[in-house]
Amino acid sequence: MGRDSKHEVLPGTLNLLILKTLDTLGPLHGYGIARRIEQVSGDILELNQGTIYPALLKLEQMRWIRTRWSTSENNRRAKFYFLTAAGKKQLAKEEEEWQRTSAIVTRFLSPSEK
Amino acid sequence: MTTVHVFLSKLRALFQKQKLEGELADEIQSHLEMQIEDLVRQGLNPEEARYSALRKFGGVEQIKETYRTRRTLPGLETFLRDIRYGLRMLRRSPGMTAVAIFSLALGIGANTALFSVVDAVLLKNLPVEHPEQLVVFEWQSGRPFRLSGMSGTSNVDVPPGRRGVSMFRYDVYQQMQKAQASETGSPLSDLFAFGPIAAVTAKVGDQPDVINGQAISGNYYSTLRVQPILGRAITVDDDRSGAAPVVMLSYQFWQERFGANRDVIGQQLQLNQQSFTVIGVTPPAFNGTLQVGFYPSITIPLAVEPQLRGEQSLLGATPASGVWWLNVMGRLQPNATQQQARDSLNTVFQTAALAAMPPPRRSNQPAQIESKDYPSLIVEAGSQGMMDRRKSYAPTIYGLFIVVAIVLLIACVNLANLLLARATSRGPEIKVRLAVGAGRWRLIRQLLTESLLLATLGGIVGVLFAYWFKGALSAFTNEESGLLPSGVNLILSWRVLGFTLAVSLLTGVLFGLAPAWRATNLDLNSTLKQTGRATASMSRLSKGLLVVQVAVSALLLVGAGLFIRTLHNLQHVDLGFNQEKLLIFALQPDKAGYKDERLLGFYQQLLDRLDQLPGVRGATFAKVQLIANDNYINDFLLPGETAETGTDHETMRQMVRENYFATMEIPFLRGRGFTLRDDQHAPAVGIVNQTFQQKFFPNGDVVGQRITNNYHNRQVEIVGVVADTKYESQRDEIKPLLYTPWKQEADDIGDMHFAVRTTGDPATLVTQVRAAVHDLDSNLPVTDIDTQSARSEMTLAQERLYARLFTAFGALALALAGIGLFGVLAYSVSQRTKEIGIRMAFGAQVRNVIVMVVYQGMKLVLIGLAISSLVGYALIRLLNSKYFGPNTWQQRMKGQLYGVTMGDPWTLVVIASLLTVVALLACWFPAHRAAKVDPLVALRYE
Repeated sequence: MGRDSKHEVLPGTLNLLILKTLDTLGPLHGYGIARRIEQVSGDILELNQGTIYPALLKLEQMRWIRTRWSTSENNRRAKFYFLTAAGKKQLAKEEEEWQRTSAIVTRFLSPSEK
Repeated sequence: MTTVHVFLSKLRALFQKQKLEGELADEIQSHLEMQIEDLVRQGLNPEEARYSALRKFGGVEQIKETYRTRRTLPGLETFLRDIRYGLRMLRRSPGMTAVAIFSLALGIGANTALFSVVDAVLLKNLPVEHPEQLVVFEWQSGRPFRLSGMSGTSNVDVPPGRRGVSMFRYDVYQQMQKAQASETGSPLSDLFAFGPIAAVTAKVGDQPDVINGQAISGNYYSTLRVQPILGRAITVDDDRSGAAPVVMLSYQFWQERFGANRDVIGQQLQLNQQSFTVIGVTPPAFNGTLQVGFYPSITIPLAVEPQLRGEQSLLGATPASGVWWLNVMGRLQPNATQQQARDSLNTVFQTAALAAMPPPRRSNQPAQIESKDYPSLIVEAGSQGMMDRRKSYAPTIYGLFIVVAIVLLIACVNLANLLLARATSRGPEIKVRLAVGAGRWRLIRQLLTESLLLATLGGIVGVLFAYWFKGALSAFTNEESGLLPSGVNLILSWRVLGFTLAVSLLTGVLFGLAPAWRATNLDLNSTLKQTGRATASMSRLSKGLLVVQVAVSALLLVGAGLFIRTLHNLQHVDLGFNQEKLLIFALQPDKAGYKDERLLGFYQQLLDRLDQLPGVRGATFAKVQLIANDNYINDFLLPGETAETGTDHETMRQMVRENYFATMEIPFLRGRGFTLRDDQHAPAVGIVNQTFQQKFFPNGDVVGQRITNNYHNRQVEIVGVVADTKYESQRDEIKPLLYTPWKQEADDIGDMHFAVRTTGDPATLVTQVRAAVHDLDSNLPVTDIDTQSARSEMTLAQERLYARLFTAFGALALALAGIGLFGVLAYSVSQRTKEIGIRMAFGAQVRNVIVMVVYQGMKLVLIGLAISSLVGYALIRLLNSKYFGPNTWQQRMKGQLYGVTMGDPWTLVVIASLLTVVALLACWFPAHRAAKVDPLVALRYE
């Protein structure tokens, strides 16, 4: 039952993961983003790589990221995504929100503090 | 902000579909290749790597689909796809599309034009700030309450035994206004009055002209909040007694007669030969608050009205002489109600009105009246100004609206039928789409998109038609036709276009829904196997539609027939005088200050000159213009009656020149005619018409009798009897009529209608007649110059309009029904080719086949005719019943008919035959085609 140890991406967090990845690594193609998310999570995140594309489209429509076609490190044509100023702001906001939410949840779950 | 971004980017994606689709494929491709490369580097063989990459990615098509729906607006995209598909389908059958759009456009165009009339006449508010705050004051009283002067018609329903009046006396208004102004917390912010002044002679440059004007209270413009476009508006200071006479010009008058000259301010304008200083020009959109159709060219303050009208002033120098002639309106305070406004002024009004009641003229009239008969105030919404005249146009407008709505309905039915036939021929396509799993709703939606597309195109073309119809309707804007008030501006405003859009969409759904429903209502199992049953049951619906079409067309055509006969009857009615070769015109010398001996002298000189003109057999004049909806009525006492005991004997009046009967060619029956000796110094004499004799003196000779004018209390001896003539209009029931010689009526002949009998075409004498008047007095305008026959025709404008419109729309309906019948039969023949082939193979003759097809079509026509007779019969019963009150527009419409009943057998027979002939023609071609079926070919086919 190896699958049990894997986790689905929490709903709503995929955006955050993508934005953070682009913030850390700079312009990157879809495959790179997917790989990065898998690697950072230590391969415990169960990610259908394809699902990041609709998510990327949504971020693009929000004008948080932009795209351009370029050549990859292996000389392959690929579509690169990069953060916009609005995207940076959005990332900061989502990060902060996540911190706050997780802090609250953590406080609830730790038994010592009543 | 972000939602806007998202929407815009989705909208953009709609138009870059191909490119984006390619990019998506490329992106996924490169993703997979990179993954495979990495996996191969990790040691997998290419086949395994590929498999693993795909697994890691997830379902490629599924992702693409999610991506697509998120990329754009799916609803809109489908809609656009449906429209593109629909347009393709419409292009494929251009003939049907053209017929459909054309017939819809006619229907929608006619409805749009009519709605622009409704909008302009019945719906439009005054172009002032907050028109909803305006109120109109009227009042009601019991019949015993007496009033002098005119009453105006009230549009409020008046209880029996009471009278409704929309006019006020100046002194009554003043007391109401004073009470309103001094009341703290009054529900009204102000109260203003205005009254029409018809026929003012204005002299601009050398040209005298007769125009309409109005007099207003000084607070009129400030209360309505109307700003002049030039100069200043009349104020309260201009409306004080002793104020210098000032005048405002209407925009149109300023444009036409002053060439929009801005220097006009401060100039003197001669009105009825008095000087008025021009102080301002009113804005173009604001025609005042008077009845629609009465647009004053000039506006003066009420206080200077006596200067304009002289002795004929209606303001009333003494309490006894005031006349009820002013309209009163007010503006409500915000949040105040009409009821509060009424209650705040009713007591003041009642006291003032009772004080103004003239003393009894007869002993049977009590000096005091009972309190139940006291006048009491009524408040109506005033956002449109005075409405009573507007409302009188409602019957014609609604009557026409029904006709055009019916035409549109027929167009819809026709289209439904055409679409139904086409849906059947598209049956295989629809079946396949249903079989591969397309939702029924999806298919209905697509078929509806097509019909809405047709309707929208029809609506667009319809707006163009509406412009044309509008022009045609504008030609009927005059007093005589009664269809539209003159001067009404028909505009295709946003409200009208909104109406068009709504009608178009409604028709689209109306004619599209049934065919779409039927077309998709297929039993898949049976229809995939064979086609027979489905088509048979579908044509039942289309047969029903055809029957409806025939029935409605028949009703419209009968309407057309009735109005054509009405027009014909009216045109050939015996008027009682000869209206050929008669030139008529009007003069108003009293406006130029003529009276008494000077007036008589002027007339005598002019008539003598006219008599001498070459080509003139005789010139005469009369007070009342004939066949022009004009009248003059007096009450008379018969011999032996006194004012105390007598009842009113109403008689029409006419003041004429001595040669009137000879010139008009009215047969003389008994007694003597008027002579030059019947002048102001001789005893008063009169001549009556035959009806007068029959009604008032049925048993004795009227000649030699003396009757008494109840108004002047003057005796008139009747010296002769002439034949009856029509008086107000061709429809007249002849009423008693008293002629008196003009010289004995000097007070009443300030304005007269002349008639010149010519030897040749009367129209050629217009310049000579004008010159004759001009020679005597160059300041005197000649008005209404025309031939009598043209004038009489003008009063029939409304009947002509009805006859033409009903005929045009009836013909259209007939043509549409014919096309429908032809289409459905032709389609049915093509479906039955095999069956007909078999019949012929078994020995059926060509004749039998033709009869079979014709019978199939004519059966529907006959059913349609039968239904229309039943509906028609029910309509007649309904109109003859008491269901519609006597004054409803339905009854007035019915009253339009003349000399013909609604069930006129001649009309019915002719229309039924006409319909039958057209229907036979429509059946003939399909039958002929059926007869040409070659059994061998037919059986080999399929």
